[in-house]
Amino acid sequence: MNWLTTRRHFALMIAPALLIYSLYMIYPILYSLYYSFTDYDGVSATTFSGLDNYRHMAADPVFWTSLRNTGVILGIALLLLIPLGFLLAVLLSGRVRGSGALRALVFAPAIVAPILVGLIWIFILDPQIGLVNAFLLAIGVPAHPQWIGGPTLSPYSIAFVYLWQQIGFVLTIFYAGIRMLPRDVLEAAGLDGATRLQQLRYIQIPMLRETFGIVTALVVTGVFKVFELVFALTGGGPVHLSEVMVSYMYHITFTTQQYGYGMALAVVVFVVGALASGATFLGNRRREKQS
Amino acid sequence: MSTDTSPRPATTGPLPTPDRVGGATPRTSRRRSRGVIVASAVAYLITFVILFPLLWIVLLSFQTNDNILAHPFSLSDLTLANYQQALETLNLLVMYKNTLILAVISVTVGLVISYLAAFALTRMVFRKGGRRTQNALRYYFLAGLAIPVYILLFPVYRIDIALGLFGTYFALILPYIAITIPFNILLLTGFLRDFPDEIEQAAVMDGVGLWRMAWQVTFPLMRPVVATLAILNVIYVWNEFPFAVTLINDPTLTTVSLGISQFQGVYSVDYGAMMASATLVLLPQLVIYAAFQKQVIAGMTAGAVR
Repeated sequence: MNWLTTRRHFALMIAPALLIYSLYMIYPILYSLYYSFTDYDGVSATTFSGLDNYRHMAADPVFWTSLRNTGVILGIALLLLIPLGFLLAVLLSGRVRGSGALRALVFAPAIVAPILVGLIWIFILDPQIGLVNAFLLAIGVPAHPQWIGGPTLSPYSIAFVYLWQQIGFVLTIFYAGIRMLPRDVLEAAGLDGATRLQQLRYIQIPMLRETFGIVTALVVTGVFKVFELVFALTGGGPVHLSEVMVSYMYHITFTTQQYGYGMALAVVVFVVGALASGATFLGNRRREKQS
Repeated sequence: MSTDTSPRPATTGPLPTPDRVGGATPRTSRRRSRGVIVASAVAYLITFVILFPLLWIVLLSFQTNDNILAHPFSLSDLTLANYQQALETLNLLVMYKNTLILAVISVTVGLVISYLAAFALTRMVFRKGGRRTQNALRYYFLAGLAIPVYILLFPVYRIDIALGLFGTYFALILPYIAITIPFNILLLTGFLRDFPDEIEQAAVMDGVGLWRMAWQVTFPLMRPVVATLAILNVIYVWNEFPFAVTLINDPTLTTVSLGISQFQGVYSVDYGAMMASATLVLLPQLVIYAAFQKQVIAGMTAGAVR
């Protein structure tokens, strides 16, 4: 086609998006990377400190705690969120009456602001005022577990709340995949006497391989964005034991104002997140090739 | 993410055939119907359990503080006092106003400039070359999909101060626009690439200029995608917290999310009022969701679902 566009028009049309995007997304990456090699603190003169921040990080126990907690959330998301979301999608794609409405209801937590989700769950998980311990007391269990605020359970509780918020989202993606399956294959299998469980194991799950890949990629990306839940539920405490990578980076940067170290943590969050997503992507590709 | 460049919202897919298998014998159909009843019971129970935390907050918002601590399930002495307290303490109107302004401006401007860029990247044809530049720039934009917002917080804070934007709506509007550009461009270029040349060729014959081509010929046909993106972007801005907490220190600019994060400080141990405030934020959102749930779900899963 030959309706002439001049380069000037092209430049004018693309300029606003290019400018804002470059200034607010690309330049900040370079900025963070640069300052991660300095001892910038906003007060004294900034000097170039090479890899000091990264060395400091390797020796910082809180960093490793935050990495482990992020790993806990990732593990629970992969081992529970994805299978449960899938099973729920199978359940709600069958002949349950009103399953459309149920799917919409289960999706509801996904549209609630994560910071509000955190506040809501305080009233369920808090050891003193929370519903769970009130319930345990009512049925005569004397134990009083510190679901949040204690030294051990917090990351698991945060992972569970994350699961609660995301399950409707995961369900929806699986449901869309299930809907696309050719119906005649399942019908034929049903007529040949395959049980529901066999159909699931030998037909639906293998045919949904690509959907599983997409969900895994989305969940892996999502886990590295968990921040508000930590902020609201525990504030990273006590003594940073429930910090995730992002919340610890936020604490170092904005509370202690060690900007150089904070930027080094931000760079590591970026790199670890990108590596995890990259690994998922490669895994998906390899599995697709095998099939 | 899906690697397909032309993702479609879930609702546009072919509808499945009705879920009926013909020819079942009476015996198996009875067994099946019992299976359906069990499955239904399980499904309803699970849905109730998932929704329970939301219902719990609403119930607590009508309880006195004594009851919240001692008998949270008690249905006597329900009270509206918490709401009175919440409305007196909280500047809900300011929170809503600020968030609405941010959402309307950043989503509108973001979509307009994303559309212009996407149009330039896919529909423009040059006398010679240009295709390579267009592709390279498209990938430059798509790279943003891999950038987590958290690495941007401090640099953006510094940029806002340097540009004298700190303390204004634009401190948030600009990063919100920037964050939404990559996905807007992913979806828009995906659709624009499949756009048939014939319509534009006919328009050229009629002497339509570039600007009218973009807005009056092509744009109207992009409306479904733009609507999907608008919903997705509004939800993002509405719920956004990390930038808001970093870039706002003026109470008159408080957004809904930022306001929620301050409830614990504001109310201390007045749990009833805290829950009433939470309900006042939660319910409008759920009502809007109920009204537009198909579009909301399609918007939030766009790109993942084809």
